Amino acid sequence: MLPRYPIGRWGNELKRRLRSPEFIISLVLLVVLSYLILVPLFNLAWRTFSWGPGDARISSDAVPGEFTTAHWERLLMGRVANKMVWQPLAHTMVTGTIAALLALFLGGILAWFVVRSDLPGRKWMRTLLTLPYLVPAFAIAMAWETMFKSPLVGGRPGFFQVLFGVPPPTWLSYGPIPIIIAMTIHFYPFAFILVAAALSSVDSQLEESAELQGASRWTIIRRITFPMVLPAFLSALVLIFGRTIGGFAIPYFLGGPVRYWTLSTMLFRNFSLGLDVNGYVLAILLIALASLIVYFNTRVLGGSTRKFEIIGGKGFKSNLAPLGRWRWPIFGAITAFTIAVAIFPIGLLLYQSLMLIDGQYGLNNLTLHYWIGRSDPSIAFGLPGLFRNSQVLGGAWNSIRFAVTASAISAFLGLIIGYIVVRRGKSWLSKLLNQISFFPYLFPGIAFGAMYLSMFAVRRGPIPALYGTFTLIVLVAVVKRLPYTTRTGTSAITQINQELEEAAQLQGSSWLHRFRRIVIPLATSGIVSGMMVTFVGLMRVLAPIILLITPSTRVLMTVAYRFAEDDITQLSNALILLVTFITIIGEVLIWRLGRGKLSRMREGAP
Amino acid sequence: MTSSAYLKISQLVKRFGAVTAVDHVNLEIEPGEFLVLLGPSGCGKTTLLRCIAGLEHPDKGAISIGDTTVFSSDRGISLPPAKRRVDMVFQSYALWPHMNTYENIAFGLKLRKLPKREIKERVTQVLEDLGMAGLEQRFPFELSGGQQQRVALARLLANRPPVFLMDEPLSNLDARLRLDMRSELKRLHHDSGATTVYVTHDQTEALTMASRVVVMDTGVVQQIAPPEELYRSPANLFVAEFIGSPRVNLFRATPFSDETGKWLSTGDFKLPVSRLPEAEEIIAAIRPENISLHREPVPGGVEFRIYAVLPAGPEVFVHVVRGETTFVVRMPPGPELQMDQTVWVTVDERSVNYYDVETGDLVRRT
Repeated sequence: MLPRYPIGRWGNELKRRLRSPEFIISLVLLVVLSYLILVPLFNLAWRTFSWGPGDARISSDAVPGEFTTAHWERLLMGRVANKMVWQPLAHTMVTGTIAALLALFLGGILAWFVVRSDLPGRKWMRTLLTLPYLVPAFAIAMAWETMFKSPLVGGRPGFFQVLFGVPPPTWLSYGPIPIIIAMTIHFYPFAFILVAAALSSVDSQLEESAELQGASRWTIIRRITFPMVLPAFLSALVLIFGRTIGGFAIPYFLGGPVRYWTLSTMLFRNFSLGLDVNGYVLAILLIALASLIVYFNTRVLGGSTRKFEIIGGKGFKSNLAPLGRWRWPIFGAITAFTIAVAIFPIGLLLYQSLMLIDGQYGLNNLTLHYWIGRSDPSIAFGLPGLFRNSQVLGGAWNSIRFAVTASAISAFLGLIIGYIVVRRGKSWLSKLLNQISFFPYLFPGIAFGAMYLSMFAVRRGPIPALYGTFTLIVLVAVVKRLPYTTRTGTSAITQINQELEEAAQLQGSSWLHRFRRIVIPLATSGIVSGMMVTFVGLMRVLAPIILLITPSTRVLMTVAYRFAEDDITQLSNALILLVTFITIIGEVLIWRLGRGKLSRMREGAP
Repeated sequence: MTSSAYLKISQLVKRFGAVTAVDHVNLEIEPGEFLVLLGPSGCGKTTLLRCIAGLEHPDKGAISIGDTTVFSSDRGISLPPAKRRVDMVFQSYALWPHMNTYENIAFGLKLRKLPKREIKERVTQVLEDLGMAGLEQRFPFELSGGQQQRVALARLLANRPPVFLMDEPLSNLDARLRLDMRSELKRLHHDSGATTVYVTHDQTEALTMASRVVVMDTGVVQQIAPPEELYRSPANLFVAEFIGSPRVNLFRATPFSDETGKWLSTGDFKLPVSRLPEAEEIIAAIRPENISLHREPVPGGVEFRIYAVLPAGPEVFVHVVRGETTFVVRMPPGPELQMDQTVWVTVDERSVNYYDVETGDLVRRT
């Protein structure tokens, strides 16, 4: 007789597995995430390797749906290759690399002064210097334009011309130089934050023992401090470069007028011209470039970071380097710099939004028309002021609805994925989920939009065509933010001792009951702050959704974009100020919440 | 098969990948017993406890509690934790930080749908028994470590499970509080009469509290014995070395006899004994308190040199050396001893245990 138990045992094992709610949830998540992340990626790739319905006008061989490498051949080697791909690629690399280097240089030096020297008002400086990070790239681009607009390229005089009486040279108005400077201003706070964190965690005993050996201040910086923060430096460099390549607003507004295209703006331009396939090819190139950067960061730099584990040890109160008689001059220089890059641009945008006729800088030209005025056919095509404008009000409502919905869903999904990742870390399913949820990080914003456009423009099985729906932009935002919310969720769950759940399990609490009564209450503060961060990010998001927005789903940022495109600059500037203002309020709230009662309660956990 | 055992574990195996955390463990625990699982970290004691609770899923074997088989790999039985009628005090106490003391204790009672009045009575009663009345509304972070420990205990007591499981419940307390809680826990066990399985890596805790101790290493049970027996005759070298502080003195020796008597001989010295183990070579184990030091030569005394003297209040530890051999001696404080002084060593030979050189197992006296 055959032994009965092996079958029974396997059957029981399988049943036990299948009944486990975590397993079921993991499976469901796997299916959903695959559909939202992997399938669109494959779909995007397939579109570039097959003939589309309208391709008959490109080639007489075109049979819609058939495999072809014609698109790639045309774009990589054909007549248009240089203009469509290679030049934008070169522009992307040049502006991105130089901007990242400059941002790092600036951020690194500022971080050293703020963290390691006896600069006056260091605490305030630290907050102040990160301020430009809250200003949307869009606003920086608009401020630059307002300052350096030139009649030479077309348009009215900018503030520069008013100050100096002559128009600025064209290379200062548009093209690579302004793009690099605007990106540097936008990204240096990021470098500053990363390097400052690394510097604060360098154990000052290491520096002190060098001092005891007789090393000079400069030798210590060069031989001890710098090598230890070098990994953070390199990592910041790569991360910033990675973020510049997906940027849209800055290269579009500062490069577009002189036809200086980067990969992302060229991608957008192709979609505007109806050349979708070109856009898809460029999207894949962008994704490949971003993946390469992430690979480089984790594989090549990841190893060197581990060697310096001394960083991240207990941060000691360190001796501050005395600046001597340079103390106040340096303070003055940094303050002036902060005003120039953070406060002045905002002030300029505000001033510009108050000018009845753009370019006439004088008190008699001031008006609140663009903020609260009623429709006047002689001004701005009869568009009413911001707070009376139905496009803006509708956009504001959409923005809030969009950001709240997407951040809540993304935070909740992140929490569940985080739960699976932490609690079932060793299983293949949770590893897979963790990997997939990281994928959207590799997709530059605009490429992500392109991916979803190719995927959801038509009906697919039970899923109707989502193009033009609110659902689609929420979906894009949810998935785009998933790498971040998964990280927040993971860290929130990590802080909940598993024994808390096991104790409840022993009392007869089911998985769902536990999740509701133990996990969610304890994860709340982490989740809420994660949600707030996402909310603020989504209020000013433009690149991932710009290809997907239709008039009925427009949000504040796309309305601002429209105004800027139509050259109604006062309105677009006013609107971008409004978004900046909302963003800053949100950041302040996050900051306050972070030290609120919720986090104290969590810290009280054993 | 008849057995009075209340908690029965047979041939239990639990693997994590390539590591076997619990390796064919058999245990029978009598009703009302206070059984302590003792071993170094990573020996599998906590895993075994979690298997009993149902928090880990064993690979093989069976567990029964009372008349119920709660786990059996052959019969495909695996009851969820809540159906096993056990409750556990965790090392971290596992108090839910967002619930106050009352809610923490009442959590399981509410789940079991007890009437409100009874819940209130039970919670009030256990808190009073543990001297915690009046702290119902406090949240865990408003309680001291000792109070948190009591709340964890109260939660278990309020549930009145027939089996108490405790996973190093005292390890997060400071030394003084730990001593107080030991006697309190022992009293509690005496009063409740619940079968208790208690995990610790602290041998003093194990020896002071257990009715029987299970010593584990690398997932394998090394010895099951009452505390006195465990200390007096460890079943193998692992247990001999693990139990007792300072460590037992071990030395390799050859038994031989000549016209002057019977001896245990090492390269450094020979000790007179009355009976010889039947082996070519053995490992002898002597507890520090079974060695005496003499300032003058005595019959059978072996000459040693004092390496270090370590007074520790009520007792003194003296390290003595001769050649390659070092002995640790425990003695009452008394005569002044100097470093490098010469002393004569005698041992209480009835207390010497012999171990097999190959297997490390205790050589039983015949």
